[in-house]
Amino acid sequence: MRLAFWLYEGTALHGISRVTNSMKRVHTVYHAPQGDDYITATYSMLERTPDFPGLSISVVRGRDLAQGVSRLPGTLQQVDHHYHPDLTVIAPSCSTALLQEDLHQLTAHSGLPPEKTLVYALNPFRVSENEAADGLLTELVKRYAAPQEKTALPSVNLLGFTSLGFHLRANLTSLRRMLQTLGITVNVVAPWGAGIDDLKKLPAAWLNIAPYREIGLTAAEYLAEAFAMPAIYEAPIGVEPTLAWLRSVIEKLNKTGAEKGVPPLTLPKLSAFSLDGLSSPSGVPWFARTADMESFSNKRAFVFGDATHTVAIVKFLRDELGMKIIGAGTYMERHAEWVRKELEGYLPGPLVVTDRFQDVAKIIDDEMPDLVCGTQMERHSCRKLDVPCMVICPPTHIENHLLGYYPFFGFDGSDVIADRVYLSCKLGLEKHLIDFFGDAGLEYEENGVSQSPEAEPSNGNGQVSNTVSVDNDSAAEDGEMKWTDDAETMLKKVPFFVRKKVRKNTDTFARSIGESIVTVEVFRKAKESLGG
Amino acid sequence: MELLRGSNYQEKHFMMQVSGDVHIIKEDNVTHSFCGLACVGWMYQKIKDSFFLVLGTHTCAHFLQNALGMMIFAKPRFGIALMEEGDLSKNEPTLEEIIREIKADHNPSVIFLLSSCTPEVMKVDFKGLAHHLSTADVPVLFVPASGLVYNFTQAEDSVLHALVPFCPVAPAGQKSVVFLGSVNDATADDLRAEAEELGIHVAGFLPESRFDKMPAIGPDTVLAPIQPYLSRVAVKLERERGARVLHSLFPFGPDGTRAFWEDLAREFGITVDLRDREKAAWEKIRTQTALLHGKKVFLTADTMMELPLARFLKSAGADVVECSSAYINKKFHARELEALQGVRVVEQPNFHRQLEDVKRIQPDLIVTSLMTANPFAGHGFVVKWSMEFMLSPIHSWSGVIPLANLFVSPLNRRSKLPAFDKEVWLQGVMPSAE
Repeated sequence: MRLAFWLYEGTALHGISRVTNSMKRVHTVYHAPQGDDYITATYSMLERTPDFPGLSISVVRGRDLAQGVSRLPGTLQQVDHHYHPDLTVIAPSCSTALLQEDLHQLTAHSGLPPEKTLVYALNPFRVSENEAADGLLTELVKRYAAPQEKTALPSVNLLGFTSLGFHLRANLTSLRRMLQTLGITVNVVAPWGAGIDDLKKLPAAWLNIAPYREIGLTAAEYLAEAFAMPAIYEAPIGVEPTLAWLRSVIEKLNKTGAEKGVPPLTLPKLSAFSLDGLSSPSGVPWFARTADMESFSNKRAFVFGDATHTVAIVKFLRDELGMKIIGAGTYMERHAEWVRKELEGYLPGPLVVTDRFQDVAKIIDDEMPDLVCGTQMERHSCRKLDVPCMVICPPTHIENHLLGYYPFFGFDGSDVIADRVYLSCKLGLEKHLIDFFGDAGLEYEENGVSQSPEAEPSNGNGQVSNTVSVDNDSAAEDGEMKWTDDAETMLKKVPFFVRKKVRKNTDTFARSIGESIVTVEVFRKAKESLGG
Repeated sequence: MELLRGSNYQEKHFMMQVSGDVHIIKEDNVTHSFCGLACVGWMYQKIKDSFFLVLGTHTCAHFLQNALGMMIFAKPRFGIALMEEGDLSKNEPTLEEIIREIKADHNPSVIFLLSSCTPEVMKVDFKGLAHHLSTADVPVLFVPASGLVYNFTQAEDSVLHALVPFCPVAPAGQKSVVFLGSVNDATADDLRAEAEELGIHVAGFLPESRFDKMPAIGPDTVLAPIQPYLSRVAVKLERERGARVLHSLFPFGPDGTRAFWEDLAREFGITVDLRDREKAAWEKIRTQTALLHGKKVFLTADTMMELPLARFLKSAGADVVECSSAYINKKFHARELEALQGVRVVEQPNFHRQLEDVKRIQPDLIVTSLMTANPFAGHGFVVKWSMEFMLSPIHSWSGVIPLANLFVSPLNRRSKLPAFDKEVWLQGVMPSAE
């Protein structure tokens, strides 16, 4: 038992419904108490679904338990009657999992043909969102993928694209654009937008593309084993990884092509991948060489997220932008070993593996990085410290579900990520000059209003509700020291990018020598003693 | 094990006879709404020196952080005592360490211990647990809130229930009113001023904003419920303290507000005629009611504010085609039900059935949950989040215009938007529905 305030990964039920909500004519029935279908709100509000997510609750009330009544068969009949799904997935919640009911038997009582139902009863105390989603997708692929002829021309499946995935639709568009440029057909995208018939025809493709470590990988591995389908597991995030990915796609497809006597694919001129077909496909390689970016070379970055994005972003920041990585971590304990291996030589210290956001917040507070790449929780932690932060993976905020085209994948994605890094880190030289020579015009800095696109809007819009969330973080709560006006003026002369840190160190110093107010004298002493 | 078959579930509806010959259709509660833990969202903000501790699982934590959009700040005053697999085999949860942590970090005056489904299934003795963890300085109060029994707003009733022993006993003598229900300070000030103007002595609100300021309640207290989901605490106070519960309309809209104040005044032997005031209030929202007139409105069950909202809409001339609510108390809601005569009222509705009725009836406005609003909009309907009514200042006279505006703003806005071809503009938004 521990006191938890906030968790990175969702529940197994959430993972299951992410898969089924992605799919055509597939429904999930939660065998659960009132309210366990709250998950529906995450789809209907974050993805703004214009139709009802295929999720229904078969309510378990306390009275039903006392009377030994189960509504599940009835609910299954209702769902079948109203929505005619091809498949209904039945899943218990954490509380009903403890009841040790025979869900297979209850499902059979509904009278629905067995091929139209799937009981997916995981241990919700052991399995979380991503593992459940990955597991269910694999289960479905195993159930439906059928041996068949390959397509005549080169084709691929895109696996692991799942409802509420990070910048999902834009990433798909980016991949589709690149594949189209190469003349490759997309056979099936799964689970996003796939029906049962689509799963059946998965083996018709020449190659599986499963770029997410969290979801889709196991299904691709199964297809590799059962149908001898080659697969690419790398995520095309960053310019060099995208080039490597393209070469790998071509190489793998040409191998199949050679067996089938299909002429080989070749990598076209790279401008073919640009939006207008006439330009460089990405601005990043030049951008990284500009003097402008030189001021970034000393910027210290900390990265925390899921496995896929933590690895990709660390590499991008260091290899392509030349930033300094001061640390990285993941909340995906299952994949920590893989992350560690991938990031060998990139990190100055051990990989942080934790599902406690407080641990991550403490690292940020101690290190005061120039850039944090994290989840919506790190953005929140960083706001309090005025540390620049960009969100690189789930869990996300409504602000990561934007209308515009902001992929992270491919050449297009490299530009998006670089832009965000640049906008998130405060402008280097300009700001430094102003600060270096005095405090003129710095008031906006003190107001703490960051103009970056990651800044949360002033109405405090919560993830799905704009009414409940109220920001009550006040500095005073942390027992911050009082500063005299003179000392504040003196502090303003310290360059802005270390000001927070100096204030914090001075507070600590003052406390250690038993002062309750930071005066000019205390500040001077601190500077002397701390070498600032 | 008895199995409720779906094929004949519609025949299972039964009609309940209530005073005024209002029929309540009861269905099977296959619906979309939240569990009682939702109350944490506003209760921790209302009672400022409290801590809300949920004994629950990953699901409870995920719900609070996602569906309610509650972000964690420097020092959140709510948290989950997270039950993990190893905790399932233990006889009783040990919360001492967590309580110590909460006290050290937050120094609360009171800790509310909320139950959830998993420990309820495990038959955790919450009362004993809360008692065991309580100290004279910091009581730990058990609040039943699990989705096995409680819907959405109902757990506020449980919180107030738990606060009853901390309301001093008011000696017989001075007659005064205690308003029942959590509202923000501005609304509370309005209600207080209005009562005092009528010559009614105000003893306070249950709950007040601080634990040590809970109002005194005794035999000469009149309890005036200002939220429609607090029937249990009202009954408890009636029984234990001999207080009188005002049975009137809830103070929403010109009609409800007039009845509420006139009836409350009568409890104090004061006769007031607020006819003119009501008329003036209707006059102020004339453009809104003109728009609502004849409009077909459908309320799906969510916050349990549906009955008074539907009653206001009916008075405003709207055609309420269905008013459904998760829980209806024939006595506590008697006046509202009476005023709703002729309206189709459904308790614990079946959402699948509602969806088909909505498609058939084609209402002009649907008041519905966070989970279902956008999908209804995608089907071409004009929608309003039911939750907005809970968190807006719609009480009493000062709430009349905001209340009316909440209903008309979606209608007005939709009428200003250009024509919408869903075949074009919804393409690719939700491939699973295409």
